[in-house]
Amino acid sequence: MMRPNSIVEIWVYLSASPLLALFITLVAYQIGLWAYQKTKHNPLVNPVAIAVILVATCIELFDMPYEKYFQGAQFIHFLLGSATVALAIPIYRGIGSLKHRVIPILAALLTGGAISIVSSVGISALLGADQNIVGAFYSKSVTAPIAMGIAERIGTSPTLTAIFAVCTGILGAILAPYILNFFKIKPLWQRGFSIGVAAHGIGASRAFSVSAQAGTYASLAMGLHGILGSILIPFIYKWFN
Amino acid sequence: MLSGLIQILFFQSLGELISKLLLPSLPGPVIGLVFLLGWLMLKKEINPSLALVSDALSRYLGLLFVPAAVGVVLFLPQLKENAVPILCALLGSVVLTITGTALVLNMLHQAKDSHDET
Repeated sequence: MMRPNSIVEIWVYLSASPLLALFITLVAYQIGLWAYQKTKHNPLVNPVAIAVILVATCIELFDMPYEKYFQGAQFIHFLLGSATVALAIPIYRGIGSLKHRVIPILAALLTGGAISIVSSVGISALLGADQNIVGAFYSKSVTAPIAMGIAERIGTSPTLTAIFAVCTGILGAILAPYILNFFKIKPLWQRGFSIGVAAHGIGASRAFSVSAQAGTYASLAMGLHGILGSILIPFIYKWFN
Repeated sequence: MLSGLIQILFFQSLGELISKLLLPSLPGPVIGLVFLLGWLMLKKEINPSLALVSDALSRYLGLLFVPAAVGVVLFLPQLKENAVPILCALLGSVVLTITGTALVLNMLHQAKDSHDET
């Protein structure tokens, strides 16, 4: 006789505890990963993008405000910091192969980083995007966990930055092979490194699916770009604002 | 596994501490990353436990920014309004960044030497 009531009570309990938010997030990502594997790692079927769409739809259906969802999911969010620290390991693994290529690599990194900021901020500002959107473009070519850290420091939106970073990664992973073929860039390490600078983690996983060497250089590029970006982007942001 | 996690959290805390006290412009985890990298270069090896935790974290890196990225629901109307500049900026910057990086790498490398192509 009390059934409708107790269902409401269970529902209230579930949505107040982190359980529901954690569960939705993990299931959504698992579905995303599954689709990604089913389509043989097609960059268009990005697991993060799928998970975000699924979770957003779910919380809309459950009428759960984003703040409440985030309160529960913040345990996952917290690990971003730890994952950033752990990027030291792929950098360390790649750094051995860097030795005699230090100068071209540093020059390419600085050029690529500068181009990504100037072009995205420039194009969006010229076409009249809102201030906070232009701001979120500053750190979007850096790997998302670091990009969000930088965004917090310079006072732009970490959420928009994360979204733009993921979109950049997807676009980069799709377009890179065509662009690199067009310019006849053949050495795998150069291809990998360019993808890593422009399209961070998503590009790196694409590079790994082509060759281990390209992947190692892509991770190295992603890590170094992250370190350099967090040092330089705050200055560049101050300069332009 | 546990000792790897402890090492990561140790360097993360160290990074946060230094960020709070000395270098507020740098995110704590990035400082932690640099210190861990320095530590690995000193020791010249990665212990298996640390490798295990790090590989697990990078394998599911995408999952970790889902909670923040879902915040996109708060920006949907604004994103729709700005769709054209956003798409142009994303597309333009991706193409230019890959091109610029690859060309610089290619030119400087060829200028230096070309016998170590691998």
